[in-house]
Amino acid sequence: MPTTVSAATISPSVITDTPQMATLRAEVRDFLTEEIAAGAFRPTPDSWLSRWDEDFSRKLAARGWLGMTIPTEYGGHGRTFLERFVVTEELLAVGAPVAAHWIADRQIAPSLLRFGTEEQKQAFLPRIAAGDMYWGIGMSEPDSGSDLASVRTRGVPVEGGWRVTGTKVWTSGAHEADAFFALARTAPLDPQHRHQGLSQFIVDLHSEGVEIRPIVSMNGEHHFNEVHLNEVFIPDNRVLGEIGSGWTGVTSELAYERSGPERYLSTFPVYAGLLDQARAERASVDSRLGATAGRLFGLHQMSRAVAGALERHEQADVAASVVKVLGTLTEGDIAEDAHLATIPGRDDEFDQLVHLALSHRPGFTLRGGTVEVLRGVIARGLGLR
Amino acid sequence: MSDTTINLTTAADADISELIHSVLTDARESAGPADPTGAPTDLDRGLWATLTETGLAALTAAEDQGGSEASWLEAAVLVSATAATAARVPVVEHDLLALWLLAQAGLPADDGIRTVAVLDAEGRADNVAWAGQTDRIVLAWPSGDGYAVADLPTAEVAIAPTASLGNRPTARINVDPAAITGTPVGAEVIAAFEQRAALARALQICGALEQILQVTITHVTERVQFGRPLAKFQAVQNLVTDIATEAALARSATDAALLAAVNSDWESADLHFAIAAARSCCGHAATVVVRNAHQALGAIGTTKEHQLHEFTQPVLMWRSEYGTTAEFDEHLTTCAIGAGGSGIWDLLTR
Repeated sequence: MPTTVSAATISPSVITDTPQMATLRAEVRDFLTEEIAAGAFRPTPDSWLSRWDEDFSRKLAARGWLGMTIPTEYGGHGRTFLERFVVTEELLAVGAPVAAHWIADRQIAPSLLRFGTEEQKQAFLPRIAAGDMYWGIGMSEPDSGSDLASVRTRGVPVEGGWRVTGTKVWTSGAHEADAFFALARTAPLDPQHRHQGLSQFIVDLHSEGVEIRPIVSMNGEHHFNEVHLNEVFIPDNRVLGEIGSGWTGVTSELAYERSGPERYLSTFPVYAGLLDQARAERASVDSRLGATAGRLFGLHQMSRAVAGALERHEQADVAASVVKVLGTLTEGDIAEDAHLATIPGRDDEFDQLVHLALSHRPGFTLRGGTVEVLRGVIARGLGLR
Repeated sequence: MSDTTINLTTAADADISELIHSVLTDARESAGPADPTGAPTDLDRGLWATLTETGLAALTAAEDQGGSEASWLEAAVLVSATAATAARVPVVEHDLLALWLLAQAGLPADDGIRTVAVLDAEGRADNVAWAGQTDRIVLAWPSGDGYAVADLPTAEVAIAPTASLGNRPTARINVDPAAITGTPVGAEVIAAFEQRAALARALQICGALEQILQVTITHVTERVQFGRPLAKFQAVQNLVTDIATEAALARSATDAALLAAVNSDWESADLHFAIAAARSCCGHAATVVVRNAHQALGAIGTTKEHQLHEFTQPVLMWRSEYGTTAEFDEHLTTCAIGAGGSGIWDLLTR
């Protein structure tokens, strides 16, 4: 007889904004309304991947909205994970240009806090919170997409550190970032224990031996890169965590990475625009507009519920995968619905938003764990494999 | 530094929740296998007696109505649990709707089992759950600027059974409004009644969807084909994961609407939107969950003998009651376009 699956495994209990969260939400919303009115940015789909704006990141830092969960002794703000959640939701709902600090704020800082040495924390966390240092993430490789444990980048011990050689791909913003984490094999692959023998290195992207080449997206944008590491020297004090425990590092932050608002709000500016088009009778109205509102309501609740579970230190990897599967499919559906309902040429600005969303759409269900991989995670959580 | 968030799971009274699960699980287990030839749709008066003894039959009603004065948080646990155990008891109609409506009208209640209906001006209501099975029927009909409410013995109401998908009888009922005396209530009472009924159906749907997930997991884990349990086939895993994700979304939206109702004592101006969102998610989740569960269960799942229909068929019935899924989508569409691009995010996060 299979064990009973607790509903809480799949969807943690919903929560409400606390008064502090509600106040913060209003503050951020007011700030963003003013910024848009002042022409500081235009709402854009998928802005967290592709809109790099260091001035804007520093404006957020000045308000204490970067490095929110970093303790104050490391230059952060000691706020809760739920407070950070509120800020990121508000930023993405208006498609604000947050790509510069996104990776650093979302996963580099939490990883440094969990696995970094005291010296590493002192060196990097204050700069991340100040919007003064930007990061990428070096996991995928040409032959290692979903199957991350198969990475071939190698770290070889040398006097005082390591020489790292290999190629990382799909590294968002590497051409603008200061540093990244590179996952590398530091012991030969043991087919019985594939997750062992991996390590994470903190790589200064301006180091000797680092070569960054653009991977241009089909719409002509450049945010992805190939990063070639040719015997790059990494001093011992730039190893993240223990040598050989890299897998723990890359998987530990996945619940944070997978359930956040960037998994259902990437096309929200398009949905908002579509409502205005419908209002102006430039787009067809059908009941899918409302069904999508219902779904977004549910996704907002689920994503916040997962954030609450993480705040309470509850296991939430399955629930996070549920949010990401549903949310990223909905993001794509919004792009699709907008395109299906809109007559081209009536509003150039909106057409551009829709085209941008359509060209980014394939990435929604690929990055951060494909829908297929995540369905596997959920199936395992349900006891099916 | 931060005050605590309100957490739905811990908000409901733990002792009552435990009692609910033990009473309903016992009832389900002692009922034995379904009769493959008959249609066990009658109200389960044995279980009702147990619910009455344990104070669950009128869980939220006031003490002077014989109720236990619990909140909708506990009622939500009960309602989902009755759906998840296919219990043939009208807890929604009796406690959450009929006794509530009587209380609004200031009318007394005895310990008879009740269902409830809102009639049109001609005194007719279609698709009334449990009509003909209960002792009495609480009726509301348009009268003057508002409505009139009366509590009639079942024998005084003309009842014609209608097509029902579930393990629960429905009927079209008729009375002559001119021939009965009602107590006046405002139109806002009936509007509030509709909100409560719509949310209660969402809670039932969620309970059943979660049970369908459970039944499906059990089946694909135990059933062996091609030398392997069905659960080992990725195509089958995908059917089941989509059941889980859709059921989870429906639950999140429904619980959020429930919290909005309880936290505002049903006064929140945003409640209508939240309940419509919940019912939209529930209605569309049912599409995927029912289809995938029947696909995963194969031919045996289509039989009277197998329990699956005790959960899939009521879900399909409930999603069209007190508002169809299409009507909820239309309401959400009107709200969303009304809010426009500048107001939609506020509407979703209020």
